[in-house]
Amino acid sequence: MRSLAIGATGMQAQQLNVEVISNNIANSATNGFKAQRAEFQDLLYQNMRRIGSTSSDAGTIVPSGVQIGAGVRTASVYRIMSQGNLTVTENQLDIAVNGNGFFQIQLPTGETAYTRDGSFSLNPQGQIVTSNGYLLNPAITVPPNSQSITVSATGQVQAKIAGTVTPATVGQVTLAAFPNDAGLEATGDNLFLETPASGTAVTGNPGVQGFGSIVQGSLETSNVNVVQEITNLITAQRAYEMNSKVIKTTDEMMQTVGQMQ
Amino acid sequence: MENPVYISLSRMVALQRQMDVVANNVANATSTGFKREHVMFSEYLQRPSMGERVSMVRDRATTRDMSPGPMSATSNPLDLAIRGKGYFVVDTLNGPHYTRAGRFQLDPKGQIVDNNGLPVLGTDMKPITLQNGANEVRIQGDGSVFTNLDPKTPVGKINVVTFDKEQQMSEVGSGLFLTDEKPQPAPKDTRLAQGVIEESNVQPVVEMTNMMNVLRQYQGIEKIIDSEHKSQQNMIQKLGRQA
Repeated sequence: MRSLAIGATGMQAQQLNVEVISNNIANSATNGFKAQRAEFQDLLYQNMRRIGSTSSDAGTIVPSGVQIGAGVRTASVYRIMSQGNLTVTENQLDIAVNGNGFFQIQLPTGETAYTRDGSFSLNPQGQIVTSNGYLLNPAITVPPNSQSITVSATGQVQAKIAGTVTPATVGQVTLAAFPNDAGLEATGDNLFLETPASGTAVTGNPGVQGFGSIVQGSLETSNVNVVQEITNLITAQRAYEMNSKVIKTTDEMMQTVGQMQ
Repeated sequence: MENPVYISLSRMVALQRQMDVVANNVANATSTGFKREHVMFSEYLQRPSMGERVSMVRDRATTRDMSPGPMSATSNPLDLAIRGKGYFVVDTLNGPHYTRAGRFQLDPKGQIVDNNGLPVLGTDMKPITLQNGANEVRIQGDGSVFTNLDPKTPVGKINVVTFDKEQQMSEVGSGLFLTDEKPQPAPKDTRLAQGVIEESNVQPVVEMTNMMNVLRQYQGIEKIIDSEHKSQQNMIQKLGRQA
């Protein structure tokens, strides 16, 4: 009986769904994390009685045939790129993007990665780096004798240097935007890489059209809605149970056949 | 003499098929744009001899429940749901296919494609390509696609079509449908919603009760075959003894 195998595909799919949901919940306190969703599609169909075949000599046709589906498969696990909440940290190098755009990070390999996690700090050379020590791109160096750093809404970084009155402009934070954010590839460490599905990065200053603005002293938390994840988890668990029920019912039907004399 | 067994068997085979359909519905309870199916049975009349009528059962068709599934917001700019009747058109090597699953993405050429990388066709039956450098996509209710580079002129209009005989469309998997019928433009009240997807319209409670029903009927028929078997055995024993 096909329903046994069909039920199994359903259980596999829901298992993956639970895995995705658990990763979301595990990262619900990760800065700049974007929630993921598993996407399912029906598998191929078997035609037992083909639609549109002739059913009599008078040329009448079968209005709808017998098509039996073979179950479900995972089509994709995509990312929901909505804005996360901003929390105020009062740390002058915690910057968040309010709106569209990613910070560009120079990886040690020379590649550019993209992140929404704006918890930056300074390295011994005074450069602005991520919590992993990767350089912000374009690189910004803060003079060693500066007292405070200001990042404007448009991304201009100014440092107040001891003994001077007017703060000196030390750099400009630029953002990268993509036609399809959901197509970015996550590499862990809160970083994303450009893919053919995301489209090519367009860089620009914060605050101009198509880019969000910078909020200093704030961090973007994950966009995971825990309540929604828990309800999704319940749905996934119940769907899993239902599929196991399908298998059990099929088993009972086969048992019935086995008991026939 | 064997007719009761054959009639029961025809029902058992039909019930097995029904169970397959229910299992497929349950498995696809979370598939985007999936439409639940049910089996239609019909009587299959036989006249083995004068004045005798035997009704078998056969599964004549699987029909699709075309009611809309619940809409769920994803806030992804390329997730589209059709409110009302209609299908998206995607291009394949075997000609256009139709789908309700609006989980779209971009490919390296900037074309809007579906989950399997098949280009989504516009009203001109050509793929819709976003300009280089566009980073915001806005899709209006009528299917017009705008980007931030030119908010006035659309880069294309997503084609939404309908068919008179929806039940005659056959499924090819991956949420795609195929039909020979000529597509017609969707009615005026069909609108696209951006950032929303249509979920499966499978109702778990209905499927579970169907499943229990199938099982109980199956077991009931087994009882009929069993008792028929017993009465035949009885008959042979009694008649055999007299002989």
